[in-house]
Amino acid sequence: MLLEIKDLTKNFGGLAAVSDFSMDVAEGEIVGLIGPNGAGKSTVFNLITGVLPATSGTIVFDGHDITKKLPDQVARLGIGRTFQLNPLFPDFTVLENVTSSFDLHPRSTLFDIFFNTGKYRRNEAFIQVKAREILELVGLLDEVDELAKNLPHGHQKMLGVARALATKPRLLLLDEPLAGMNPGEIQDSLDAIRSMRANGITVLIVEHNMQILTLCDRVVVISFGKKITEGLPEEVRANTEVISAYFGTDYVC
Amino acid sequence: MSIVGALIVILALLPLGISGTYYMHVLILAFVYVVISSSWRVVSISGQFNIAIGAFMGIGAYAAAIPNVWLGWPPWVTIPLGAVAAAILGAVLAFPFARLRTIYYAMGTLFLGYVIINLITAGGKTTGMSTGLGGVEPLFSNRAHYYYLALGLMIVSMLCLYRFEFSRIGVRMKAVSQSHEVAASVGIGERRNRILAVAFGSFFAGLMGAVYCHYQGVASPSSYGLAATLWIIMYVLVGGINSYWGPTIGVGILLVIPEFFFRDLRGDLPYVTAAILLIIAFTMPEGIVGLLKLLRARVFARRRTKEEVSVDAP
Repeated sequence: MLLEIKDLTKNFGGLAAVSDFSMDVAEGEIVGLIGPNGAGKSTVFNLITGVLPATSGTIVFDGHDITKKLPDQVARLGIGRTFQLNPLFPDFTVLENVTSSFDLHPRSTLFDIFFNTGKYRRNEAFIQVKAREILELVGLLDEVDELAKNLPHGHQKMLGVARALATKPRLLLLDEPLAGMNPGEIQDSLDAIRSMRANGITVLIVEHNMQILTLCDRVVVISFGKKITEGLPEEVRANTEVISAYFGTDYVC
Repeated sequence: MSIVGALIVILALLPLGISGTYYMHVLILAFVYVVISSSWRVVSISGQFNIAIGAFMGIGAYAAAIPNVWLGWPPWVTIPLGAVAAAILGAVLAFPFARLRTIYYAMGTLFLGYVIINLITAGGKTTGMSTGLGGVEPLFSNRAHYYYLALGLMIVSMLCLYRFEFSRIGVRMKAVSQSHEVAASVGIGERRNRILAVAFGSFFAGLMGAVYCHYQGVASPSSYGLAATLWIIMYVLVGGINSYWGPTIGVGILLVIPEFFFRDLRGDLPYVTAAILLIIAFTMPEGIVGLLKLLRARVFARRRTKEEVSVDAP
């Protein structure tokens, strides 16, 4: 297993946002973590990425216990992430957003950077080329010199994905990639996520929107901080508990 | 670039004309403050507005003065010691302060500066208390030698600060300042980069503090308090905080020009300075450099329209 979450619990004061939550993600999978608003999806996301400290339980990534790691340490180990809101550096241009995100692979030491060594210059030249490749992939090549804060919402989210890809992640966590997108943009995003898997990236998607089901190999459903079911997308879609969690018990036929 | 080259040549030749005069003293002071205010600005690109910069200059000065006066260590040892001490202490103090951001960081460092100055003042005979530690060994007997030392250190320091800002290190700093969350998600840690910025900036503040202390022959707490800090920040804001040359221009406007040309005003000088500050605060939010950029944009725009007109003409 690439990612193993075991008995994860997070209490905010007396409130259990996530309790005894366990799930796995295998190498090469696309896994969806879905649930209604307030179910604890984002809390799980923040626990994996080190933004929040867990109350108890363990998170293991590729053999490393990352339960107590900080966000930048988690990123160094190969977990990339996107953000639901404000996914970028607003005062950098689109291109700078991606080149600045190429900080791990290739990595330049402080010595190399400060003394402008040949290695540093080669790294930077490589990054310039690679950044444009990624921007072409997400369809932002025409806007490289635009300030990121001036982009429309959908493009900002795609730039957030481009930034995450620049870290060369083994596991990519997508935080509500479809939120706030129009139907056309949703199709583009689904295509983009498929092409990530084709490139050997394992993807864990946290999403409210059920349209994501078409994409997933496996789906985990969370409600009130607890896992209520797990299975193939078709199984989950038919599961009465899921329907009642989303729509209330009245809609269960 | 050619402007900078010409300026360096002029500054290098200037002692031929003004050797031993008050003007030379003013320029030595200016070189010291160009470095310190530029180092403050470079730290600020990581989002840290350090209101204890004067105290860090003081740490450099006392770390040089104390071993020189009481242990007899030579200035060539104590000056680098001052720089290194300020950098190390800067890194150690930056560690807890890396939790604070924006106005809270500014407030925290404001208190920090106050505490450092009070600790120095309370240091008994070792620090010379509030009157300062006198008898610091001079480096040279000739003021022109100090001039060249300060000029050389300024050039080297400014090159180092330039590399820091306009390289991937500076990119990391700007990234941390714009969004520490997004920065962390790509492996750019907030704490380590902010500590690095403070250590780097304090090195140069400490270096120039130590040099100036050997030049003056005394380290006194009043030179490193809040007033000193505010002057340093004013040089940056007046020149332009968003530009590498901002602090240099600020020192030119607020220190060199008044001392060179308006010394006759004496007691009225603070009013002139206050007037300059108010005009800049209300009309030039990005300082003198911001104004220069605006003027250049206007001139270019006018030239462009002229070219277009001439192309259209038959």
